[in-house]
Amino acid sequence: MAKDMTLMWGAGSPPCWRVMIALEEKNLQGYNSKQLSFEKGEHKSKDVTAINPRGQLPAFKHGNIVLNESYGICLYLEDQFKSQGTKLTPDNKAENALMLQRMFEGLTLFDALKQVLFYTRFVPENERHDSAQKRNAENLKSEVGRWESYLQGSGPYLAGKTFSLADVIVFPVIAFLFRFGLSEEHYPKLAAYHNTLKDRPSIKSTWPPNWVDTPGQPALKDL
Amino acid sequence: MAQDMTLLWGSGSPPCWRVMIALEEKNLQGYNSKLLSFDKMEHKSQQVLDINPRGQVPSFKHGDLIINESYAACFYLESRFKSQGTKLIPDGAEEQALMFQRTFEGLTLYEKMAAVIFYTYYVPEGERLEAALKRNEEALVAELKLWEGYLEKLGSGSYLAGKSVSMTDVVVFPTVATLFRFGLSAERYPKLGAYYALMKERPSVKASWPPHWLENPKGQDTLKDM
Repeated sequence: MAKDMTLMWGAGSPPCWRVMIALEEKNLQGYNSKQLSFEKGEHKSKDVTAINPRGQLPAFKHGNIVLNESYGICLYLEDQFKSQGTKLTPDNKAENALMLQRMFEGLTLFDALKQVLFYTRFVPENERHDSAQKRNAENLKSEVGRWESYLQGSGPYLAGKTFSLADVIVFPVIAFLFRFGLSEEHYPKLAAYHNTLKDRPSIKSTWPPNWVDTPGQPALKDL
Repeated sequence: MAQDMTLLWGSGSPPCWRVMIALEEKNLQGYNSKLLSFDKMEHKSQQVLDINPRGQVPSFKHGDLIINESYAACFYLESRFKSQGTKLIPDGAEEQALMFQRTFEGLTLYEKMAAVIFYTYYVPEGERLEAALKRNEEALVAELKLWEGYLEKLGSGSYLAGKSVSMTDVVVFPTVATLFRFGLSAERYPKLGAYYALMKERPSVKASWPPHWLENPKGQDTLKDM
């Protein structure tokens, strides 16, 4: 099954990382793994656009089936491989509902992060405003604070007692925050979550290769 | 079951409309429906904040369970009420994958639409730029062409992810309807126009049509030249 799968991905990209974690959790190691370089523009190459006309990663194939949306791939793998690997959707109704809530709030968290960390990538120089950057930083701070409080309420995982799709999808974003200098002192619950999950086999084995043994960046240290 | 459900919503909000279509499709009419006014800032009122600290609608409760993200609520309803109403998630791998693909591309379509029609809502006056709005409009045109292509490939009379209605239609139709409400030309986008005409007649869509669109059938013409 895994041999019929191909994943094109870029290092450090949370959407790509989610899919890699899901593949590991569902015991689908052995897929064809193609790492591409964002810096070299390889995500816009013909190899990618042949699978994903949008020229974006992750790009995923399973036999003739193509799926290029990270949430879609994770949900597809959980449904199609229900009976193998980790069960990623809790049976408990309350945990299941909380899993869905947090999964989709994860979009808001990732957006808030991108608005700050990728501001200069997305906004042309002559359109940048200090007021916008300030607003984006405040928004990210309030959003991260929200997630800190979520982990105070429930735990140790995002949906409660069980590791779920919410963790598969949102952990890479939280890891990205710490890679970019988020303070463990300011956010102890998020730090504890991050430090516990770092050692989970599916996460350890898919850790971004360019993050191993290299320092992160300090952009968020004062958040 | 439906009597244990409460939905707080605002008229014309695509995220709210998604959940209402899902409730109808799963035969869960009879839920407690609370229409709030955006103009009167009721989405920031205590009754919303009690359910959704973000002060956003839709806010949805089922008994003690709270789900405030529209896609989450739709997936929850399908999963919890799998055996009743319309089946929204196909079992077969190919159909399921296409449904997931288009469902999540629907987020991109919504963002690109919002970046044009809600530009002045999101961007404070001192930061607005014609060049940025123009770029957003070009991005929306490119996105619309993709969706025309998707429908063309599936053939006439199809839904967004295949021959039958699915989750994709539940979550993306409200965005398509909003595009036409804001003046999108069915002549320039005939496949989307045909899809819109098809879905408009569906009972779940008719039952949840935004009330203020019924009161004022004429929408806006922001997108007419797109």
